[in-house]
Amino acid sequence: MADGDRICALGRLGRRCISLLAMVIDDSSAMRLILGRIMRGLGFDVVEAPNGAEAIARLESGTLPDIALIDWNMPVMDGLAFVNAVRKREEWRNITLMMVTTESEQSQIVRALAAGAHEYVIKPFTPDAIADKLALLGVLA
Amino acid sequence: MEAQTMTYVPSADDLEVITREVWMSFLDGDPAGLVAGGRVPDDDRVTGCVQLSGAYVGAIMLELSSAAAQAAAAALFTMPLTQVTPVEVADAIGEITNMVGGNVKSMLPGPSTLSLPAVVYGALTLPGTEMLRRAELAWRGQPLAVSLWRRAA
Repeated sequence: MADGDRICALGRLGRRCISLLAMVIDDSSAMRLILGRIMRGLGFDVVEAPNGAEAIARLESGTLPDIALIDWNMPVMDGLAFVNAVRKREEWRNITLMMVTTESEQSQIVRALAAGAHEYVIKPFTPDAIADKLALLGVLA
Repeated sequence: MEAQTMTYVPSADDLEVITREVWMSFLDGDPAGLVAGGRVPDDDRVTGCVQLSGAYVGAIMLELSSAAAQAAAAALFTMPLTQVTPVEVADAIGEITNMVGGNVKSMLPGPSTLSLPAVVYGALTLPGTEMLRRAELAWRGQPLAVSLWRRAA
């Protein structure tokens, strides 16, 4: 596929047709598969984690995604705890955090955004909804 | 036991609309794919359940015939029906129950907390609860049902 045909992620140095890295954090392997497929289709490389604790372990081992898509209800460490943990670390401040969850109570959405999540998508979603949110966040051209 | 104050109880139609939205998003893009009717057999079912605690205490349950559960897993994982194992069924039904439950929860008094989903082969009983609503549906000729439960007064 020619670069001109690609959907390109927007890097911090402007439009570039190299893949950015997305981390999909969800305890459901089906949901990781679905979100991973959507993100790859949008030009991202994708890594996965089944809960917040394993995601933190991956960050600590040096895997630094440009964006993390985070479920809320997960065993071991939930999505809100993950957001709080990431926001405490200066070296991870550039990671864009997007909640992708069934948790749709307004008060919970406010909590997640106040903790440092940038965007919020409620399941079920469409691929277009994910792409629209990424465009709003400025990580998708 | 503290009585729960109910302002609005989602109807069976609400349960159906939410389930239809989940189905259309991830399992079957055909709006006519999920139809009303169908009765899940007592002796051949997979049950997913999420419990609610907080302002509303109860549960949302998804029951499917084992054939419907296997077909749902195959659709969600985009894999051949013959390759679906109980691991995929449990993951898929858990996630579908979670999505339906989360959206039903948004219509109930809050704040409430949603549990992680539990999935069993067979029926699930919820002692001390009563069923408030139930939507019976069918997909590809196989029955499924979504129900809303509340802690008994």
